[in-house]
Amino acid sequence: MSQDVTKEAPALPAPAPPVERSRRLLTRGTALLRWLGALIAGLVVFGAFVLANGADPFAVYADIWTSTLTQPGQFQQIVLRAAPIALAGLAVVVPARAGLVNVGGEGQLIIGAVAAAGVALWLTPVASPWLVMLLMVVAAVVAGAAWAGIAAAMRLVVKVNEAVTTLLLNYVALYSMLFLILGPWKDPAALGQSTSVELHDAMKLPVFAGTAIHVGVVLAVVAAGAVWFALTRTTWGFRLSVVGGNAEAARRAGLPVVTLLLTALLIGGALAGLAGFIQLAGMEYKLRPTFGLTIGYVAFLASWLSRHKPLPLLVASLVLAAIAVSGNSLQIGSGLPAASVNILMGLVLLAVLGWTSPRKVRS
Amino acid sequence: MTTDAVARARGRVGKPAALLEVRSLSKRFGEVQANWDVDLTVLPGTVHGLIGENGAGKSTLLKMIYGVYTPDEGRMFVDGAPVSPGSPADARALGIGMVFQDLRLVPALTVAENIALALPDGPTLRLARLAARITEASEAYGLAVDPSAQVRHLSIGERQRAEILKVLMTGARLVILDEPTSVLAPQEVEALFGVVAQLRDRGLGVVLVTHKLGEVRAIADQVTVLRGGQVILNAEDPGNFSDAELVEAMVGRRVPPLAVERVAVPPRERAVLELRGATALGDRGHVALKGVDLDVHPGELVGVAGVAGSGQKELCEVALGLRPVTSGSVRVDDTGGGAVAVPEDPVADSVVPGLTVLEHMVLDGRAVPRRGLGIDWPAVGARTAVLDERVGLHMAPTKRTLSSLSGGNIQRVVLTRELGQDASLVVAAYPSRGLDVANTRRTQELLLQHRARGAGVLMVSEDLDELIAVADRIAVMHDGHLVGVVDTAGADRMSIGRLMLGGVA
Repeated sequence: MSQDVTKEAPALPAPAPPVERSRRLLTRGTALLRWLGALIAGLVVFGAFVLANGADPFAVYADIWTSTLTQPGQFQQIVLRAAPIALAGLAVVVPARAGLVNVGGEGQLIIGAVAAAGVALWLTPVASPWLVMLLMVVAAVVAGAAWAGIAAAMRLVVKVNEAVTTLLLNYVALYSMLFLILGPWKDPAALGQSTSVELHDAMKLPVFAGTAIHVGVVLAVVAAGAVWFALTRTTWGFRLSVVGGNAEAARRAGLPVVTLLLTALLIGGALAGLAGFIQLAGMEYKLRPTFGLTIGYVAFLASWLSRHKPLPLLVASLVLAAIAVSGNSLQIGSGLPAASVNILMGLVLLAVLGWTSPRKVRS
Repeated sequence: MTTDAVARARGRVGKPAALLEVRSLSKRFGEVQANWDVDLTVLPGTVHGLIGENGAGKSTLLKMIYGVYTPDEGRMFVDGAPVSPGSPADARALGIGMVFQDLRLVPALTVAENIALALPDGPTLRLARLAARITEASEAYGLAVDPSAQVRHLSIGERQRAEILKVLMTGARLVILDEPTSVLAPQEVEALFGVVAQLRDRGLGVVLVTHKLGEVRAIADQVTVLRGGQVILNAEDPGNFSDAELVEAMVGRRVPPLAVERVAVPPRERAVLELRGATALGDRGHVALKGVDLDVHPGELVGVAGVAGSGQKELCEVALGLRPVTSGSVRVDDTGGGAVAVPEDPVADSVVPGLTVLEHMVLDGRAVPRRGLGIDWPAVGARTAVLDERVGLHMAPTKRTLSSLSGGNIQRVVLTRELGQDASLVVAAYPSRGLDVANTRRTQELLLQHRARGAGVLMVSEDLDELIAVADRIAVMHDGHLVGVVDTAGADRMSIGRLMLGGVA
């Protein structure tokens, strides 16, 4: 009887050979195809919108293409717009690794710029330009981190969700800046416009010879590289992904969960503050009611588009900056308002997020 | 009883059609052949034991019968007529009822309301009339259930009876019970088998899925063994096989018995774990651990028995310092090596889905080899290879992410990491969950090795036989209280069962 029991199980049909590697390439390929498909879907829907408004969508797209991507001046504009988006995007990427949602890039960027403008305002008359610039950077970074720190403290002490607090703090930051430029910091020479005093030329970021590209762009690329290194090659980055993947597992493994969450949000805030600095010292040179408008939100989307990965974030920032810049030629070419390009941006984002998100596999 | 049953079964051969007949069923998921050429015949008036290890294909087979999966190949007959249930509703209409391991009742509703949910009874709820029908049916089948009781107030055993009643009232003639005993105390198992015997005597067919041979011997007329998705023994009389032969059929090879002799460890004065009046809150804010006094000495393995949710989880977490006590005290006497822990729910408490097996190896709370600012992964890899070799549970390749692993493979990763280290206190909750027979045996050996090296071991299990096999003493919990500590030598299952249910030994 026991022989009967131990009989060899009859041979199963041979399983397919291991295909892990080729399948991974395949999934990567389909991911790219889906990206392209989503992009096209967004373009088609926006094309219908353009058509409904009495313009020729093909002409509009051709116009956008030639005017933004084939002219060197426009390309520089795209790069200049992309740099603060990338930095503020990193402010989403780092906390996201720890499972936190930082919607506060907008406010942290503004507060960073306010701090830098304050330093410039007080110290320009008394200190050397290089020292002032250095202190502007420090002030922007510290202020951005502190602004995020408020949300971090509320999350860790009274357990309020950081997505809510960072969002609300954006309004506090915006109206604080408005208070300053409408009141104490208002430039008396600005003829009724509410702006702060323009930075002294020595405090403007230097540009590369023969271009409009300032050193802030380099800063953004270096920061993305540094964040990539920190997240993928350091113990801290590894621990952040443990906390983000399963905080209970991190706690049981004895990791300092509170410290990790805190550092992630503080570093995020610091990067957004830095974005505020380059927007001030490289682009706008003074605070005004529309200072840095929507950079923080666009950066939030850029981070989601890049799946919270620092190097793809650079690409996503460029794409979004290009769409924003193309708004100008849209207005000139078709008579549609420049802001309608935001519809295109929104459509593309929805399509990409909706179509490329990893699906939950039912067990 | 068994010969009677065989006589009954033989008497039917060729006469009335089999209640359910499954021929050459096959099902493949990707590269996994979950079922291959499976036959199963269930005769009316019999209890059919379906046994096999985790992953043997039992669930796949049941889900095909119950209309959840569609077979790739093969045919099914009910009462001799070919059928192909495309959904559980189809299966129910054919008279096939399934009682899932995780019972599918809505806790906030009463028994009657839950049964009303399952009955297609028109637009109006007639609960009073339904309650009367329930009482009638529960008397007829010997299933004592109060129709007006809220399910959340019922014990697991009572819930199971309500679920079986629900299945019967929807007209089931074939009742499939999926591992029904895993959450029950021994007395409740006896009561359940009483019900099963009643169903059989009324001419229904019962499929009992289990991996406990004792249960097959107690109640099954026929047994079918699955291994690797294939039928190894087909509708045999269990009386013709020894336990060793049945295990061999399930596992595919002989499993040597666990060494009974234990090295006695010289007793030491101080306990490695000492709980005094330990009281703690559960996750829902209720008092889940109530004044527990317990010592675990070096070189001792203390088992913890109890119906699921009696405070075992909180006991483990309090012992490990993961959950604060609201009163009482916890003292751990660390003589080197600290504590290691196998959590009750590794997926919730120990697994980071997107990280690899290798990356999980450093999440043990100990020093990690560093290189520069980062972790020295090659060194971790080398260390892990040694660990895997020594522990012998054969983890999945270290590059695999945990989200791609099955429950049993995840358990092996956690066990390898935790039990592979020296420790003065080992807290293991359901360590053999999801493991096959051979790995379960190996895990028990590892726990006994820790004990032999002088560690104090606290082990929670749902399987009383497992506890009796490895523990020195068994602490029994009921409703957050430690209601008794029994010496394993000469322990009596029934008296442990009474303690589990809150009675006196």
